[in-house]
Amino acid sequence: MSEPSFVRFWGTRGSIPTPGHKTRRYGGNTSCVEIRHGDFELVCDGGTGLRELGLDLVQRGRPRVSAHLFFSHMHWDHIQGFPFFVPAYAKDSEIVVYDVEAGRPRVEELLHGQMRSEYFPVNFGDLGAEIRARTFEQNVVELGGVTVRSFEQAHPGKSFAYAFECGEKKIVYATDSELDLLLTNQDEAGEDPAALRRLPAALVAFVEGADLLIADGQYTDAEYPHKIGWGHARANTVADLAHQAGVKQCAVFHHDPLHSDDAVEQKIRAACDRLDARGSRTLLFGAREGLELKL
Amino acid sequence: MPKTGSLDPDSTLAGQISIVSGLPRGGKLPTLEQVRGPGAPRRFPLAIAETVVGRGQQANVTIDSALLSRRHVVFRRSGPELSLADLDSQNGVFVNGVKAHSAVLHEGDTIQLGDVVFVLHEAAE
Repeated sequence: MSEPSFVRFWGTRGSIPTPGHKTRRYGGNTSCVEIRHGDFELVCDGGTGLRELGLDLVQRGRPRVSAHLFFSHMHWDHIQGFPFFVPAYAKDSEIVVYDVEAGRPRVEELLHGQMRSEYFPVNFGDLGAEIRARTFEQNVVELGGVTVRSFEQAHPGKSFAYAFECGEKKIVYATDSELDLLLTNQDEAGEDPAALRRLPAALVAFVEGADLLIADGQYTDAEYPHKIGWGHARANTVADLAHQAGVKQCAVFHHDPLHSDDAVEQKIRAACDRLDARGSRTLLFGAREGLELKL
Repeated sequence: MPKTGSLDPDSTLAGQISIVSGLPRGGKLPTLEQVRGPGAPRRFPLAIAETVVGRGQQANVTIDSALLSRRHVVFRRSGPELSLADLDSQNGVFVNGVKAHSAVLHEGDTIQLGDVVFVLHEAAE
């Protein structure tokens, strides 16, 4: 039996931080998920949840943080926590930032950019940690014990999903993807909302057999027609992807900032009902801050 | 009625403020309402910083169920935050149906340990 992996949600909100009593249960921090596997500290996105993760790493008493950061893309709600990531200020920390595409180190440049003096009082160059960029090769990066694969998604300006193969476990992080633009049976799905929404074979193969799929399911079916082209999926479509790919557990992620906890729960309940109607074995739930899974 | 100039702790504190870190206003305690399993229905106020639930005598809350580990789960209070952590139990801890290693808890969450089910009330007593 291989070593377990731990997955913790530090920020599950989409678009903009949404604190307040209406969002306490699912949380108001923007995208950040931690995956721990052995000595590996893998971080998916640096939304405002990254600040909380950094504080927790310090509290765990880790003398030296070595973290691998994977950004789905560089929109605000995925990078704003970085300037507040305390380990980045520690001289003995090491942070590796991954670029999917070769060429300019786009990710690192953009992290620099948001710390220009117009936006933030501390310059990127003044951070104490050793921060270096690494690029995927043909959509794969090997970390010695963990293999990470990337997959391009439908989002304004492009975004990437990541599949982490940790021993025998597979964890897929796939946020900010407008799955509903990719349906291979658009006409059928449009006429019959209950029909299975079929996703491209390459995407299904990327997700296939995941022990955990974390996927953007920002909207309800009723909301989506008003948000086409905004880069996010319907929770019901995420449920269909999870079912088609034989996913064991699916965490619906990137909750709409307009959604209260009650609204998120209604959205999740509808997606669960959809899976139940198909007799699916996938367990679907709403990602919420502070929840940690052991896989 | 307290005398003028004297300190009557009951009347001074009751229902108005809390000077104890982590206690909700009015001194109400977060509570586990056991709704299923041996001994249900009953309530367990989470009165201390860490409450261990299990079937063994080392637990703070002992429940006579063979499906529970001796020390199954710990509930922690830290300031206003309530959380739980699985203590490497045999049958796991399910929060709202999801098997959790740890979780921050909120009003109305259901927590299942084997055949035992609790509903959390953030301030019920």
